[in-house]
Amino acid sequence: MSNATASSHRTTRGRPQLFTSYAQETAIFNTRVKRNWVLVGILVMIVLPFFMQRDMVALITTVFIFAIGGIGLNLLTGYAGQVSLGQAFFLGVGAYTAAVLGGESRSGVIGLGWDMAIWLPLAGLVPALIALVLAPLAMRVRGLYLAILTLGLVFIGEHIFKEAKPITGGAGVGRAPADPVFLGFDLFANQTILGYRIDRFTIFYLACFVIFVVMAFAAKNFARSRFGRSFAAVRDRDIAAEVMGVSLLRTKTLAFVISSFYAGIAGALLSIVIGRISPETWNIFLSIDFLAVIFIGGLATISGSIMGAIFVVLLPKLVNALTPLIPGFGGVGEGGILNVFELQSIIFGLLIILFLILEPRGLYGLWLRLRNYFKAWPFSY
Amino acid sequence: MTAIAESGVRTWTLANEVRGRAATQPDGVAMRAKRLGIWRDISWSDYADNISLVGHALLSLGIEPGDRVAIHSENRPEWLFTDLGTIAVRGITVGLYPTNPAPEVEYLLADSGSRVLIAEDQEQVDKALAVEARCPALECIVYLESRGVAGIDHPKLMSWEDFLARGAAHREAFPDALDRRAAETQPDDVVTLVYTSGTTGPPKGAMLTNANVEFASNVIVSGGGLYEPPPNASDVILSYLPLCHVAERAVTTWTNAVSGAVVHFAESIDTVVVNLREVQPTLFFAVPRIWEKLKAAVEVRMAAASRIKRLNYGIWMKVGNGIAQSMLANGGRHTVWSRIRYGVGYVFLYRALRDRIGLRKVRAAASAAAPIAPEVLYFFFMMGVPINELYGMTENSAVATSNRQGRIKLGTVGEPHPGVEIRLDERTGEILTRHPGSFAGYWNRPDATAETLDAEGWLHTGDVGEWVDGTHLKIVDRIKDIIITAGGKNISPSELENAIKASPFIREAIVIGDQRPYLVALIGIEEDTVGQWAKAKRIPYTTYRDLSEREEVLRLVQGIIAKVNEGTARVENIRKFRMITKALDHEDGDLTATQKVKRSALMVTFGPLIDDMYDGTDRLAGGDQSNVVVVSRVEA
Repeated sequence: MSNATASSHRTTRGRPQLFTSYAQETAIFNTRVKRNWVLVGILVMIVLPFFMQRDMVALITTVFIFAIGGIGLNLLTGYAGQVSLGQAFFLGVGAYTAAVLGGESRSGVIGLGWDMAIWLPLAGLVPALIALVLAPLAMRVRGLYLAILTLGLVFIGEHIFKEAKPITGGAGVGRAPADPVFLGFDLFANQTILGYRIDRFTIFYLACFVIFVVMAFAAKNFARSRFGRSFAAVRDRDIAAEVMGVSLLRTKTLAFVISSFYAGIAGALLSIVIGRISPETWNIFLSIDFLAVIFIGGLATISGSIMGAIFVVLLPKLVNALTPLIPGFGGVGEGGILNVFELQSIIFGLLIILFLILEPRGLYGLWLRLRNYFKAWPFSY
Repeated sequence: MTAIAESGVRTWTLANEVRGRAATQPDGVAMRAKRLGIWRDISWSDYADNISLVGHALLSLGIEPGDRVAIHSENRPEWLFTDLGTIAVRGITVGLYPTNPAPEVEYLLADSGSRVLIAEDQEQVDKALAVEARCPALECIVYLESRGVAGIDHPKLMSWEDFLARGAAHREAFPDALDRRAAETQPDDVVTLVYTSGTTGPPKGAMLTNANVEFASNVIVSGGGLYEPPPNASDVILSYLPLCHVAERAVTTWTNAVSGAVVHFAESIDTVVVNLREVQPTLFFAVPRIWEKLKAAVEVRMAAASRIKRLNYGIWMKVGNGIAQSMLANGGRHTVWSRIRYGVGYVFLYRALRDRIGLRKVRAAASAAAPIAPEVLYFFFMMGVPINELYGMTENSAVATSNRQGRIKLGTVGEPHPGVEIRLDERTGEILTRHPGSFAGYWNRPDATAETLDAEGWLHTGDVGEWVDGTHLKIVDRIKDIIITAGGKNISPSELENAIKASPFIREAIVIGDQRPYLVALIGIEEDTVGQWAKAKRIPYTTYRDLSEREEVLRLVQGIIAKVNEGTARVENIRKFRMITKALDHEDGDLTATQKVKRSALMVTFGPLIDDMYDGTDRLAGGDQSNVVVVSRVEA
């Protein structure tokens, strides 16, 4: 370290608001504390699967995948303000792209059996390409109309998925997903590494975690860039954004394309966790799950998408564990006033309503509130 | 010292100090200025280069040794470039307050006979152009910001960029011109005229020489007179008070050049609070008015805080009170027990509180330039920011006394610095100082110089003082301000005024009573705090005047005065008060550029208020010790 940077560093250290460059002001981690906590979090998540039950490992793998899809939807809906119900369609396209390219050719469905290094990027690129083609159509409308339009996309998609039997296996039959063999290394098989036997759920957990971390950072980095800021400008007032020289069509298209890329990757990974995919999987309810992720988690925040994913994926498990304790509710297949799935749907519905009314910024908003309480300490404002 | 100059070693100047730093650590950060949201580094080599460019530009304009160069700008790097560039060519820097109105600009330019003026922006250029015809010596006006100025066609106007380009061209043609000037420089060269604030008459320009500045720098910067332990290159300073005042010059220019501490320039005086939080300086100098405002801001915001936060504040300020008492009993040092209490409180309150107001990293703080109420100092002691109250004035290069660590006595200005002689005049109690920092005299005013600096070299400060415990000096008041009541009792008004002003609600308090039967006060409220207080109490008001005359506000003021009266002898009780219904202002001639009250001017302006009190009538808003006088709206 040269003399100059040393003296500069000495007089800026511990002064998070003393910005000596724009790069410093827009840094992903503006304080060391934040960076260190994220590092600690990452380390904990890497060690965690070795101490958990197999089903929990699988569940948290789903959290990562939902987080990836949630981040994608948040870029479109939270950052760029374009409400979309079409996430399920793009998840489906991603899943089938992966299955066709990376799956086995068996019982009438196409499967090329390529390596994951090829099918994973393409699982994102193909939905992105479709979004690019659809964008001129979708981006002419906004607000409620866009929501309805993307809803239509899900129905059309579901229909196509049911009919395209060589690709999807057809309604009620389905097909096997892609094989996650990355450069010859099977990510969904028990492996022995350095003499330790690691089960396949843990391997896949770690693989998804790596993909998730990379994509989360990419999104975070994207959101602070010129494009990310133009997303926010379009969301807050599209006319004003256009006056400032932000091209509406280009910005909205970009949001749509990137969001679909994330959805495609999430769809491909999700299909592997599910094990066997049928066209009914990619329906409107999956889209609503993803909306729940971002509404409960918090709009226009990456960390919020992650919190929302944790919540949405783990809530059923929690409800499952708690229902026996509440009289009147039956478990799966048992009698009672409501079963677990009904209760779950009611809770989701209630939560979305409550969050929209009480804390539109979602779980992240609750965290912000808590943080601001201590940020203003010892004052109140 | 002349011997040193002759032996080939350069005379000590600030410009040479900077040049030395630029040679040893060219890329080290000398200062930072905020532009477009970013604090931009200016390295020592940039600093030295700009000094050289300014010096050459001044040479190209024909500046000879002893010529004056005026600067009319807020604090910014160019101020320092110009100041030291002028010193480098043996010129004399004259600082003008940014708030100086045109007539005062005319007086200062004409009195100093400045040949070049560096004017910050359109506002200052307009003032200069309005009076330029009556300042025959003025040849060139250099503006720093071209917005609104670029369109003005005037033969004397020049942009800063053109000015520096001239310097660059001159440097190209005469590369050793500055070195020649530097070699000729003498310790007794006058380097700056610091105009006194002029509470009584027109300002006088005090001449400070290289030797004065060197002595002052050694004593108050390197010697730890201002901040202890002495500043070094890892210290951070915020520069925001007017640089034309000797105190800010000492804490910014001198401290920076001598110690290498990094100066950060506040964007303007209005953004000091924000900038303070960003910069979190390690050394902080403020005048009492700023300390009072900081204290008031904390109290007002605390009053509006939630119950739990108020409780937390209450508990830890109580603990802080104990810590402060034990520290003061120990001369300002921590004991083990007080350090433990502070450590726990740091987690709950002190750290966060200091961080919010921008004092988290302050390791040494100082207050000077006017008397400060001990309550205010005590308040900052409680949160772990010990403020060193010190004493000095323009005429002795700000060198006289300071409170030394471990020997702090609250309410005194401390002990004489090493190498400083201080005695009190037997008859009047006036403080006399003698040391190498005593100024060279007033510019063109030998008569005034003779009154201030006697034949034995004693400087007559005009302040009355007394010794506390034989070691620490306590300032009573300005000689001219001492009140002798009709009963023959000597009273120091500033002590009472400060006690009143320690309340966050009071901005101005002027105690009157010279040759009168009893004391009265003129009170001006602090609009922000009283306004908030009124809002919380649901008291409607429209203007500053309306707010000042509200019955509830009068009761509030009455309560504050009653509290001050409790702590004083009967003769020092303030019997009546009247409200000043306008905010005092420099441009209206109520205040000096340093925000000091011009007593004599106010006696005339507010004559009716004073008469109302001593005539026993109730025509204007105010009150006495038991009643308040509310002026009816219709009449007003």
